[in-house]
Amino acid sequence: MSKAVPTANKIKTDLHEILDIRHLTDSTFVLRFERKGLEFEAGQHICVGPPNGIHTREYSIYSSENEEYIEILVKEVVNGLVSPSLKKLKPGGFVVVEEPVGYFTINKEHPGNQKYVFIASGTGISPFHSFIKSHPQLNYTLLHGVKKANEAYDAEAYKKGNYVLCTSREGTGDFYGRVTDYLKQNKFGKETQYYLCGNCNMIHDVYDILEEQSVESDNIHAEVYF
Amino acid sequence: MKYHLVTLGCQMNQSDSERVKRVLEGMGAQWTDEEQEANIIGILACSVRQKAIDKVYNKIANWNKRKQSSNLITFISGCVLPTDREKFLKLFDIVFAMRELPGFPQMLSHYGVTTPLSLVNDNITPKEEISLFWQVKPKYNSTFEAFVPIQNGCDKFCSFCAVPYTRGREVSRPSEDILNEVSELVEKGFKSITLLGQNVNSYGLDKKGKEINFAQLLEGIGQIGEQKTNPFWVYFTSPHPRDMGRDVINVMAKHACLAKQIHLPLQSGDDKVLIRMNRKHSLKKYRETVTAIREVIPDATLFTDIIVGFSGETEQQFQNTRKALQEFNYNMAYIAMYSPRPGAASHAWSDDVAQHIKKERLALLSEDLAATSGDYNKKMVGKSYRLLVRDTDRKAGYLSGQTEGKITVRFPSDDSSLIGQFVDVNITSASNFSAEGELI
Repeated sequence: MSKAVPTANKIKTDLHEILDIRHLTDSTFVLRFERKGLEFEAGQHICVGPPNGIHTREYSIYSSENEEYIEILVKEVVNGLVSPSLKKLKPGGFVVVEEPVGYFTINKEHPGNQKYVFIASGTGISPFHSFIKSHPQLNYTLLHGVKKANEAYDAEAYKKGNYVLCTSREGTGDFYGRVTDYLKQNKFGKETQYYLCGNCNMIHDVYDILEEQSVESDNIHAEVYF
Repeated sequence: MKYHLVTLGCQMNQSDSERVKRVLEGMGAQWTDEEQEANIIGILACSVRQKAIDKVYNKIANWNKRKQSSNLITFISGCVLPTDREKFLKLFDIVFAMRELPGFPQMLSHYGVTTPLSLVNDNITPKEEISLFWQVKPKYNSTFEAFVPIQNGCDKFCSFCAVPYTRGREVSRPSEDILNEVSELVEKGFKSITLLGQNVNSYGLDKKGKEINFAQLLEGIGQIGEQKTNPFWVYFTSPHPRDMGRDVINVMAKHACLAKQIHLPLQSGDDKVLIRMNRKHSLKKYRETVTAIREVIPDATLFTDIIVGFSGETEQQFQNTRKALQEFNYNMAYIAMYSPRPGAASHAWSDDVAQHIKKERLALLSEDLAATSGDYNKKMVGKSYRLLVRDTDRKAGYLSGQTEGKITVRFPSDDSSLIGQFVDVNITSASNFSAEGELI
């Protein structure tokens, strides 16, 4: 007997079956669901919501361009309209998914040896996970700012020495302090391409620091998480 | 059977209303200007401002009172947020997304069943629905000005805007349909045609190479212009600075029918505010585009949109916007005081710029705009311009029209047959936002 598939509210585009939910912390989890042929570039985002709800939210794609599934990294927002519902879903259930969009992608015209610095706060690491999984040859340094070391989501996915965990509330990461403190102490040069993803305050602060270091705004790319 | 429509919001809703009218009149309904006379009454809603939503609730409360004593069917469509949509299901007889318009007669025939067609699993995807919607011929509200939708939805997710949640992702209308509609409009004598889309210049990008891009679409329209003998002006709104390339500017310069007027929303002149707005462009990128426009089309007029008092906007950040406004010498700016819009990301943020500060900033920018706009208008004096006459002027004995660059000019004439026609005038005087002339 074929599986009962719920009816999608037609404001949304399509239903995708949930394949796995992997809890990384009490509030953060990776939701894996069917790809169903969706094409995307690493760094793009999709709107995802529960199957019978009326709301969706934007999530950067966490998985690689080359996988048969799509993953998103979700942090539960207390009293949020979407993330608490997503957290309750189980494998075999469904989510509504809209087509991937967005411009926070690697410029294909950059030379092969281009140096990248990826700067993330919290779940803002999601597009960088997709970048690095999709393009393993990238010459990158990933700075990840979190409060505590248990928020180092899937840190083993990154090359040793290329990933710097900056913890602001305890000294168990690679650097005790904020990513902004790390950037002030460690310069990466004017020719580097800087990609910033996370909360707006972090992005503003990093912009200021990079400006002081004479980095051109053309070399700074930002994706704000709200 | 008489119908009445209340259209709120932008030109896209105005364009949608032309298609709704066509469907209703196809069913034999007749337009009435009087709400009280109508048997079918509907709203094309706008979710951009809370005021517009409040108006919807006021209207439907009155109409539902009227239903106690008369036969009335109510409907709502347009830009409706998911949360409002649920509430409207209880208040209106019919609720539908604009892309479902072709099914509207069926919904009316099922009147009494409040479940909208949108909740029925009929295996039609939203993209297929919007294609059917575009096949509905509009009943144009004017005989000389028309709006042609070329795209629906938005992928930009500006933090102050709810459109991505009300209209969904960008879907481009087939270029062949657009070119045919433009060609037919020109044949019928339309003089002003405006291409509409939330991000009009990202046209075609959703088709990933299977459709022409915006510059190529303009080229196609330019070629229509070369083939026709009757003159017309084609505008487009609104482009996004991120997608405004030199290819678009070059093709505008190439063809006479592509009006030399560009509406390029700035929103803020401060990079940090632009980041917080999630605008996906910097002031530098914007400046490069304006520089290219000035180089390639020096006669082009430039319009913009600006929001003052956005969440967290500091005095210094506002001063950066002032500098930008002065630098870019706009002919017109639609300046809005920020108000949180339900459904938009910024709605959850503190609206922390005091109302009196917002008013002050609005007043300062308006003064600056008056100066730059006035300077341009004064330079028009003594020169001749072609106008599209649009209406009678508030000043008795005058008609009012617009130049190709959308500068409003009035001139003495009682000849209302000129409305909808091109005329040539000599500019005799100018003020900050308009000019006056005499027929040549």
